[in-house]
Amino acid sequence: MTLDLILSFDSLSRVDGSARFGFGLYPQYLTSISGPIEVRLASEQPSQSTIEVHVRPLTNVPGTESKKAAVILKEVLQMEVIMEANPRTLIQFVVQALVPTPNVTDELVAAMINCCTLSLLNAGSVPMRGVICAVSIVRLSPVKGEIPIYKVHLTEEPIPRLEATGCFAFLFSDSVSSNTYASSCIWTNWHSSYSGSAKAVDEDDLVRARDVARSAAREVWDRMKLLIEERERPKIAMRGSLVKNASHEMADAEKMDVEEDDAKMEI
Amino acid sequence: MDTVLSSATPSATDVNSFLSAAEKEALKAATFQRLHPQIYLKRFLEEKIRPDGRSIADDENEDTHAWRNVEVNVGSITTASGSALVRLGNTTVVCGVKAEICEPELDNSDEGFLVPNVDLPALCSPKFKTGPPTEEAQVLSERLNEVLGNGMIPLSSLCIYPGKSAWVLYVDATVINYDGNVFDAALLAMVCALKNVSLPHAEFEPELNRTICTRPNSDPLKPARKLIIEEDLVPLSFSFGVFAGSYLLPDPTASEESLLDTTISIILNTRARILALSQLGTGVDKSEAPGQGVADISYTREADTLARCISLAKKRKAIIMKKVYDI
Repeated sequence: MTLDLILSFDSLSRVDGSARFGFGLYPQYLTSISGPIEVRLASEQPSQSTIEVHVRPLTNVPGTESKKAAVILKEVLQMEVIMEANPRTLIQFVVQALVPTPNVTDELVAAMINCCTLSLLNAGSVPMRGVICAVSIVRLSPVKGEIPIYKVHLTEEPIPRLEATGCFAFLFSDSVSSNTYASSCIWTNWHSSYSGSAKAVDEDDLVRARDVARSAAREVWDRMKLLIEERERPKIAMRGSLVKNASHEMADAEKMDVEEDDAKMEI
Repeated sequence: MDTVLSSATPSATDVNSFLSAAEKEALKAATFQRLHPQIYLKRFLEEKIRPDGRSIADDENEDTHAWRNVEVNVGSITTASGSALVRLGNTTVVCGVKAEICEPELDNSDEGFLVPNVDLPALCSPKFKTGPPTEEAQVLSERLNEVLGNGMIPLSSLCIYPGKSAWVLYVDATVINYDGNVFDAALLAMVCALKNVSLPHAEFEPELNRTICTRPNSDPLKPARKLIIEEDLVPLSFSFGVFAGSYLLPDPTASEESLLDTTISIILNTRARILALSQLGTGVDKSEAPGQGVADISYTREADTLARCISLAKKRKAIIMKKVYDI
């Protein structure tokens, strides 16, 4: 299945890395990362770096739901970043919502996780154990005796026949051969939704949902790799082709970069 | 210069001479735990026992001694509409429910409100200082709000007069003693307190624009009532931790909690169906099958851990049900 995603690297100038991500047509979150930077003495850790995550809603001051999302993101990012590489430093994430988020639902947390991963890739200054991609899955009740369907939940619109919903995050990291990348599920949050009768979930249900989530997360990961490849393309092309062609392409690429920057300035 | 420094340290030897042999051993063990908490815990787990004497949940030994003792006491706070005191080993949580009257929201004019809150004061643990609620307290409150707000108490049953008057239930849990697994204890305390709630009879007088409540037991025609509870949606929570990627520890204590790399929470209803589950971390490592594709190892590891947790939780649920329903 092809997912509807929008993802881009941003160009905030005062931070080390920034990116936007959204499920659907519009970016939902803009994330920035600064790190490794100076840490306050109170939060300094002697043998590992400190991670701070700030989640900011579009309107109002951050409340308890932002705090909860920040705690989840911190736990997830601690598995992605190699903390022991830079002791006594700070890696600071700020996740800014670009759409109204009255409730922080599963697909929004998934979007936040993906956005943080992208900003880490954009920065390049923080050593990473792997790439974490997350998706949100819904289970729809079966129609006339068929098996229940699991599909990726992209937007916040209500879905009919919704029985259970959840979010899964997977860590993709290198393995022996470059073709098979191991993925391990590092965060699961699966709960049944209530509409009249309580439709509870069981173990097989969870395993099937996770499989669907794993392939969808792999797709998100492929899109991230594509984004990086597009950004690096001028340099890659230069190696393979003649120098004359390369200089033309470089000029074009630079022009394109400048135009892109101009376009991005108009936020 | 030479005469100032003396090699003897009389204070240390004097203290030690007052202790018996057993106390000296205990002091050595306590010092070791402070300096090397991970190795201390690992040494216990290698002998298939936990520091507080409980068993670990491995394949041969899935008995119920892996969980701490639960004690529940309801109705002890007479100034609250409902109350409960829960002890989960040393973790102690007291919960009180206060019912007040308010105007319902415009969007949901026939619904009341349920407001859970957890307080972690400085007296429960040296981890917490006085001042505004810590991050942990806020996250706990938010998680409990999610679990309780899922329909256990139908909010329409809290309405007195649509658009004008409704009950709001403030469910406040205070942790008296923090020894790990506060989420399970707080949820149990809140559920028991809500079951214990007795609401006075309330009537809205449109002419006076006021709600009149009748004192319980004063008018046999207007008795106090218990809350309407959806039995299928009553949540019971069971938390686990994984240490060093290989040991599954049900119901972790405070000293174990800080050393865990994975935490798993399973929420069951009264019929042992899963209402919600969350896993943060990779689970128990059972990678003894290197021949399989690399992508498969982590898959079996995750499925395995969660399946074990779910079966352990279901077994434990039966015991908790007796405690909750026999009060």
